[in-house]
Amino acid sequence: MLVVEDLVKRYGKFVAVDHLNMTVERGHVFGFVGPNGAGKTTTMRIAATLLAPTSGSVRVAGFDVVEEPIKVRRKVGYMPDFFGVYDNLKAIEYLDFYGASYGIPYKERQKTAEGLLDLVGLANKRDTYVDSLSRGMKQRLCLARSLMHDPELLILDEPASGMDPRARVELKNILKELKNMGKTVLVSSHILSELSEMCDSIGIIEHGRLVVSGDVRNIMETISGRLTVRIKLLDDMDRAINILKEQPMVSNIFQEDDVLEIGYKGKDEDLWPLLKTLVVNDVPVISFSKTDGNLEKVFMEVTQDEEMV
Amino acid sequence: MKRWFSNPVLASELKIRMRSWRTVLMVVGYLAIMLAIAYLFLTASVRTMSRYGGVNISSNLGLQLYMILAFIQFMLIIILIPAQTAGAISGEREKQTLDLLLCTPLSSLSIVLGKMLSSMSFVLLLTIASIPLFSLVFLFGGIAPMDIVTLFAFYLITAFAVGSIGIFCSVLFKKTSTATVVAYIVIFALGIITLLLGTYMMSEFLGRNPNFSSVYIPFPFYLNPAVGLSDLLGQQSGNTGGMGLPILGISSAMYNANVAMTGSLSWMAQKLGIWGTNLVIISVISVVLLLISAWVIKPVRTIHSSKRHSAGTGVN
Ligand SMILES: Nc1ncnc2c1ncn2[C@@H]1O[C@H](COP(=O)(O)OP(=O)(O)O)[C@@H](O)[C@H]1O
Ligand SMILES: [Mg+2]
Repeated sequence: MLVVEDLVKRYGKFVAVDHLNMTVERGHVFGFVGPNGAGKTTTMRIAATLLAPTSGSVRVAGFDVVEEPIKVRRKVGYMPDFFGVYDNLKAIEYLDFYGASYGIPYKERQKTAEGLLDLVGLANKRDTYVDSLSRGMKQRLCLARSLMHDPELLILDEPASGMDPRARVELKNILKELKNMGKTVLVSSHILSELSEMCDSIGIIEHGRLVVSGDVRNIMETISGRLTVRIKLLDDMDRAINILKEQPMVSNIFQEDDVLEIGYKGKDEDLWPLLKTLVVNDVPVISFSKTDGNLEKVFMEVTQDEEMV
Repeated sequence: MKRWFSNPVLASELKIRMRSWRTVLMVVGYLAIMLAIAYLFLTASVRTMSRYGGVNISSNLGLQLYMILAFIQFMLIIILIPAQTAGAISGEREKQTLDLLLCTPLSSLSIVLGKMLSSMSFVLLLTIASIPLFSLVFLFGGIAPMDIVTLFAFYLITAFAVGSIGIFCSVLFKKTSTATVVAYIVIFALGIITLLLGTYMMSEFLGRNPNFSSVYIPFPFYLNPAVGLSDLLGQQSGNTGGMGLPILGISSAMYNANVAMTGSLSWMAQKLGIWGTNLVIISVISVVLLLISAWVIKPVRTIHSSKRHSAGTGVN
């Protein structure tokens, strides 16, 4: 549904998105997690055709965001992290206005708008002026707005930020509903725990690079592994990986040139049997150390409580 | 044409404006002020004239009233439209609603046009509402209905030109306050500079050609709607009004005789008059400004042909 290939975005010399590759499967809810400034908003704005990439490509339902922006816009519903509403418009008129902007005929968009107000729980605010709605309600209204043209892909930038726990539960339910409707969702947050329950898969981004992505359960498991161990090898990478895969305590393995970075569910004193196994199997280990690996640092940042960020 | 009226940006804003009581009150207020001015002018003139045994009251009086109203209406357009249009796009940016518009399939040109027309709608409404007031002049004669139609066409294009400068500033500057100040400075500086430059060019030309007997029109005059207006009013009043551009050495008498014209675009001025040429020039400039504005707010600009086929239109 969404394919990002080698995406680069520079602001002057600053690289905000750095050769990013990721794929969001049709029908999935994909959590896009990373600390503030990681490049989430930038990536999402490019996918919503609001920003031109420096290089690389983004395709939505097969349409390139640069080549065919209008077709992409018809497929994408975008909810920005910060947005405003027009004063003097009632909730229903607000949705009607955007429906009209997508060229939906009057009768049809009225019907759609009523249905969406219902979906986001604002049916009783139909004739309330939007600027008098609470922030959470505005957010839900904006979500309804992004659904007016029945998009296939929803891009939600930090929808949970500033929501109280109750509103978060509601958001989770709405996302579930959207998933049942067959929508694909790309939703971002700088707090992993906020998304882990609602997503099928997750990608973690830092400094504009995707650090890890995949099934949400696998990743959560990786995170619960407390240790990250860096193992530098002279040779025999593949054999080492095979051996490590068989170790029950090893949760994840990442390879970077001649270095393996593994997630390890255990305590410090559980490390020596691991090293022993490698050495006994003639794996040429030249360095073996517990680290504050890249991954771990990112996890620390994204799993922090919101207050600490 | 239908597409223009179904522009959702325009439609929505018109709906908001027209249902507000403030709009109605302001229209009524404006008409009342115009009416009061007309009344004061007429009573004052009639009193002075009767004291001096006035002759020829009617058509001259009607003409003068017409010019006063025309001038007020013109100033209203020049003074209000920059403030209204300069916030049109930058205001969307400040309210953080521009992105939501840009990610719809609306073209950036229709967003720019929709925002411009809707922000001008109030002034245009005032202008249209004042048409009946202008017909007061018919009571005195001297002005034909067609003159009023021409005058309002002139207003419309002037409003369009001033509005496009406002929109252009609104696109270029992030803050509405900056955009507004710059729009006023540009519009009034243009007014003064074109007038001074044109006058200078004229006197210089006459200095070089002392025996010159036809009319020379310097190009800067075509950029200034105020010049166009006084020319139009001069033409409409014939010789009796004494308006036109007498101070600049141009007399509206040239419309009555076949006076040869020289200077830039004199071939056009010969056919359309100075004011007509003026309208053509400012229309061209405003269309260019609007196209540039649309290009600037367009988030993703493809330089190459957009007809290029994308590799796969398949679905993932
Ligand atoms: N318009 C811009 N000009 C310069 N730098 C920018 C601009 N927008 C974003 N950035 C920078 O790009 C980086 C990524 O930003 P962003 O995509 O908003 O991150 P996130 O949404 O993950 O917090 C940040 O360091 C930010 O300061
Ligand atoms: Mg962000």
